[in-house]
Amino acid sequence: MLKKYKDDYFSDNVQFILTDNQGIVLESDQSFLKIEIGTPMEEVHPFFGSISAVQELSENTTFFNCVQLGKNAMERIVDIEMHKKKEGVLVMVHDLTDHYVSYQAIAQSRNESIINSELVVLKNLELQEREKFKNQFIRNFSHELRNPLTSIISITNILRSTDLSDEQKKMIDFLKESNSNLKIMLEDILSIGMIASGKLHLDHKIFSLSDLLELLRFTYSARAKEQNLTFNLDFGTKVPEHVEGDRLRIYQILTNLLDNAFKHTKEGSVTLSVELNQKWANRASMRFSVSDTGAGIPKESIQAIFESFHQIETGNGDGSGLGLPIVKGLLELMGSKVQLISKLGDGSKFYFDIVLKEPIHTLATTKRNKETVANYQKKKSLSGAAKYKILLVEDDEKVQMLLFKTLLGAKCFNIDFESDGAKVMQTVLQGNYDAIIMDVSLPNVNGDHITRLIREFPLKQIKKIPILGLTANAYADDIALYKKAGMNILMTKPFEEEELLNSVFKLVSN
Amino acid sequence: MRVSKKIVVLGHFGVGKTSLIRRFVEDSFSNDYKVSIGVHITKKVVEITAGNQVSLILWDLEGTDDLSNIRDSYLLGTHGLIYVFDVTRPSTFENINGDLRIVGEKLPNAPKIVVGNKVDLVVPEDLDRLLQRQGITYDYLSSAKTGGMVNDLFLHLAKMLSSDAKKI
Repeated sequence: MLKKYKDDYFSDNVQFILTDNQGIVLESDQSFLKIEIGTPMEEVHPFFGSISAVQELSENTTFFNCVQLGKNAMERIVDIEMHKKKEGVLVMVHDLTDHYVSYQAIAQSRNESIINSELVVLKNLELQEREKFKNQFIRNFSHELRNPLTSIISITNILRSTDLSDEQKKMIDFLKESNSNLKIMLEDILSIGMIASGKLHLDHKIFSLSDLLELLRFTYSARAKEQNLTFNLDFGTKVPEHVEGDRLRIYQILTNLLDNAFKHTKEGSVTLSVELNQKWANRASMRFSVSDTGAGIPKESIQAIFESFHQIETGNGDGSGLGLPIVKGLLELMGSKVQLISKLGDGSKFYFDIVLKEPIHTLATTKRNKETVANYQKKKSLSGAAKYKILLVEDDEKVQMLLFKTLLGAKCFNIDFESDGAKVMQTVLQGNYDAIIMDVSLPNVNGDHITRLIREFPLKQIKKIPILGLTANAYADDIALYKKAGMNILMTKPFEEEELLNSVFKLVSN
Repeated sequence: MRVSKKIVVLGHFGVGKTSLIRRFVEDSFSNDYKVSIGVHITKKVVEITAGNQVSLILWDLEGTDDLSNIRDSYLLGTHGLIYVFDVTRPSTFENINGDLRIVGEKLPNAPKIVVGNKVDLVVPEDLDRLLQRQGITYDYLSSAKTGGMVNDLFLHLAKMLSSDAKKI
């Protein structure tokens, strides 16, 4: 019985074919391939053209696994053995189609999975490349804008101090306001780039939260008046007066939310509320919220408004569309999340919770009044001492001229110029300067390199000269690099006249 | 005069070996990827010059990322080879020199053609830059989907093999 089963199995699945040395069929058991005697095997299937090659081998037996015979042989997948015999070649064909079809399904799934994972990796790489390109573009773009913007701001200030008609003064005021807006937009673009590239680091310091909120009350009450709106500030009594956090970034978050609220509110009010959620140890969890009675946001747009450069259709096309993405990014850095409740036609409420340290002792410096330029000028004039001798190192003639005018206007400085980085050291050695104002980007030798040379110089009166660096690179890592080189103060272009004078006075007074 | 030549087509899986052969033999293409296992053999006769024909026996080998695993029996009697890589998947050509060295050791005398396939999916300038940067040299950039350079590459190899036959 067993022999019958065995014979049946082999008759269905294995075929024996005998050929001569030229591959002509001498015998075939016709199990599943119908082959006429005398046929060249090459005509049965192109595979059998290899018989002649087998004949040339020294081995007596050659195996071919998993040969797909295709249409010629009813899609069979077979293993083939070829044995050298005295008559020629014995070909044994094993039909293993079922076995190989299941193997094929496994291979298909394995290969597809590998290819898909490779494609995901490639897609991620492509996205990373794009992100890198975008951030580099933002970096270059903001750098290139800073120099001309510095000139525009300085020229506007100089013009404002000349004899002008009332109409001209009004136009200059508009120009000043536009400059400020442009500067804010530039800072926004830079912030979003820094957040995206992970280069924005929070700078935690103790500051007065109540002072910050008073500043916002002052700023936005005026704006509310202009727009015939009401601005409310609800400052809970339990909210700590002083906290430790990044004042600049909290201010940036709140101004972005308030600007957004004012932009979309035609009538009614805008309200900023600060409440204490809870306190523990020296920490305070607070909820900040900005609500308005404006147009509201459609449900389908809520997700998208936090994406860069997105603006919902409200008819208020102004703005860069960067405010809310910056809020989102900064809050994420602070371990928080901006939330939104809004209904079309029924106003919006943006809110977030942040945990800030409540300092046990507030630093005296937080309350100390800053020296003003006028104070510095007065002190200098009363002292009767000679004017400060300043070396101004700047290669851009327009910026050079504007800085010169600004410094000259203060009436406390004598100024020398240098524009070539390679000649600065020589000038410094001959000049006996009280301070150096130096652009970082100079022809031949950069300002940070010159600073390093000065700081390493063996003569004390040279190596101790205070240096104010000017740069169009606003990234924290660049600033840190210049400070490490030995620059005492760094100013990022563009800056206001007052800021420059304040920094120079601070430098020479110390 | 007609001579018969065995050509093996090899490379990593999913690079389009089967599609290139199908385009060349049947002038057809399918976007569906169906994995090839073992070996699949087809034949096409091409005319090199008037009266001179070459019967190309095309062995489409199962793709592998380690060519040293190819069964030696598959390579018996090989006259020429086509090495295919996928221009959209760097993993299929990052180690091309190592792969070609292995093939060269197994088939020291067989003329070979190196083909980058699926060029229809990439921007030509980007591809040039990528391949140059990686130091990849190739003979043809093809597209089984559009048919670009497919006939040319097979005919080129057929001519190489035909001239070899005459020398013999």
